[in-house]
Amino acid sequence: VKYVDEFRDAALGRTLAAEILGAVEPGRHLKIMEVCGGHTHSIYKYGVDDLLPTNVELVHGPGCPVCVIPMGRVDDGIAIAREPGVILTCFGDMMRVPGSDGTLLEAKAEGADVRMVYSPLDALRIAKSEPDREVVFFAIGFETTAPSTALTLKRAKAEGITNFSCFCNHVTIVPPLRALLDSPDLRLDGFIGPGHVSTVVGARPLEFIPADYGKPVVVSGFEPVDILQSVLMILRQLGEGRCEVENQYKRVVPYEGNLRALEIMAEVFALRPHFEWRGLGFISHSGLRLSDAYADLDAERRFAVPGVRVADPKACQCGEVLKGVIKPYECKVFGSACTPERPIGTCMVSSEGACAAYYNYGRFAREREVV
Amino acid sequence: VSGVDRTSELAGTGGPNPVSCHCVTCGDDGVPMLVLAVDESRCLALCEDGTGAHGSVEIALVAPVAPGDTLLVHAGTALTRLQDAVA
Repeated sequence: VKYVDEFRDAALGRTLAAEILGAVEPGRHLKIMEVCGGHTHSIYKYGVDDLLPTNVELVHGPGCPVCVIPMGRVDDGIAIAREPGVILTCFGDMMRVPGSDGTLLEAKAEGADVRMVYSPLDALRIAKSEPDREVVFFAIGFETTAPSTALTLKRAKAEGITNFSCFCNHVTIVPPLRALLDSPDLRLDGFIGPGHVSTVVGARPLEFIPADYGKPVVVSGFEPVDILQSVLMILRQLGEGRCEVENQYKRVVPYEGNLRALEIMAEVFALRPHFEWRGLGFISHSGLRLSDAYADLDAERRFAVPGVRVADPKACQCGEVLKGVIKPYECKVFGSACTPERPIGTCMVSSEGACAAYYNYGRFAREREVV
Repeated sequence: VSGVDRTSELAGTGGPNPVSCHCVTCGDDGVPMLVLAVDESRCLALCEDGTGAHGSVEIALVAPVAPGDTLLVHAGTALTRLQDAVA
């Protein structure tokens, strides 16, 4: 496949690994955070970390949209799904995220009409075909899925579809990065910047990282060669004493982003004063709600949602994993009580979650190391 | 337990899809898709992904597109045209 095969080339990967070895400063332990869950998934799927020198550590960031959803919001979604006449639609992974009293999948087993969709447009299609039912879309994700939700809401409004609404849980990437950089228990040397979020917002919003915190950022693609090249670009910046936002993913990411997407998002969404993130707590101006012009399509106004904040299970250490403070296998319940089949924490649910990536791809290699 | 490939049993439950190498259920995943046909009046395009699967894609953010273009698609919406960013 064009744009894919050439970025999975093993020989090129080994050449880059050798260059990384040459570029790394001996004796200095470097921590590089990959912000996006898609990177975490690729790193473990392709064993990218095995190609890196031992003093270059990849730390997994909070960029998996499913992992950062707090339990209280899942409970709210389940409460909406249980309303009579409601069809709740959501992305597949969201159905398995545990709330305080079960998952959406369990609510479905108990009789709630919960349906998986690939796109919010599919949810709108359901609303059109079932005009007697209330169809709610459980919207999650960063700036990658937010334009899709925004376009769907615009379509619903233009076509006058009144039985469709959106339970909006969209979040933005910059505020949690700032929160992580302000966190005292985390020391990072550089960032592998989110690739597909940057197709929408551009690379400019990441400029505060070198400007305010003095850390290099390289916006990266998701194939193994992309990630290795981005690590090399970060090491070169560190070696040369430079600190800036570089774009490794030029074949996809325009530096300015997609202005049409930003305009539509600005029309449909408004910033919430604060939003809760799993493991990171409340972060100011990090979540999106529907703007006043779209208030009649807001499920939170149409249905009574409990809106109760629920603490994470005590055994679960997703918060520390999301902040990169511990590795997934250092969590007490990793791979024993918490598995992709029966997750306790969100990081084990989505394939982009750090715990699921370790569980699916990394645990055998780690067991060999221990032996 | 040795290095057993568990990807097939995970497919469809949020696990990785062994064929297309992207998650089949989580919408937040960018997939390069080739445009086959365009319906400008509805702002939709019929596209094909690397596995040969077809789907209709919202193209309002990247229009105009033509058959033969490659789009990066997230949750059924094209976010960028791949050649654009390189140029």
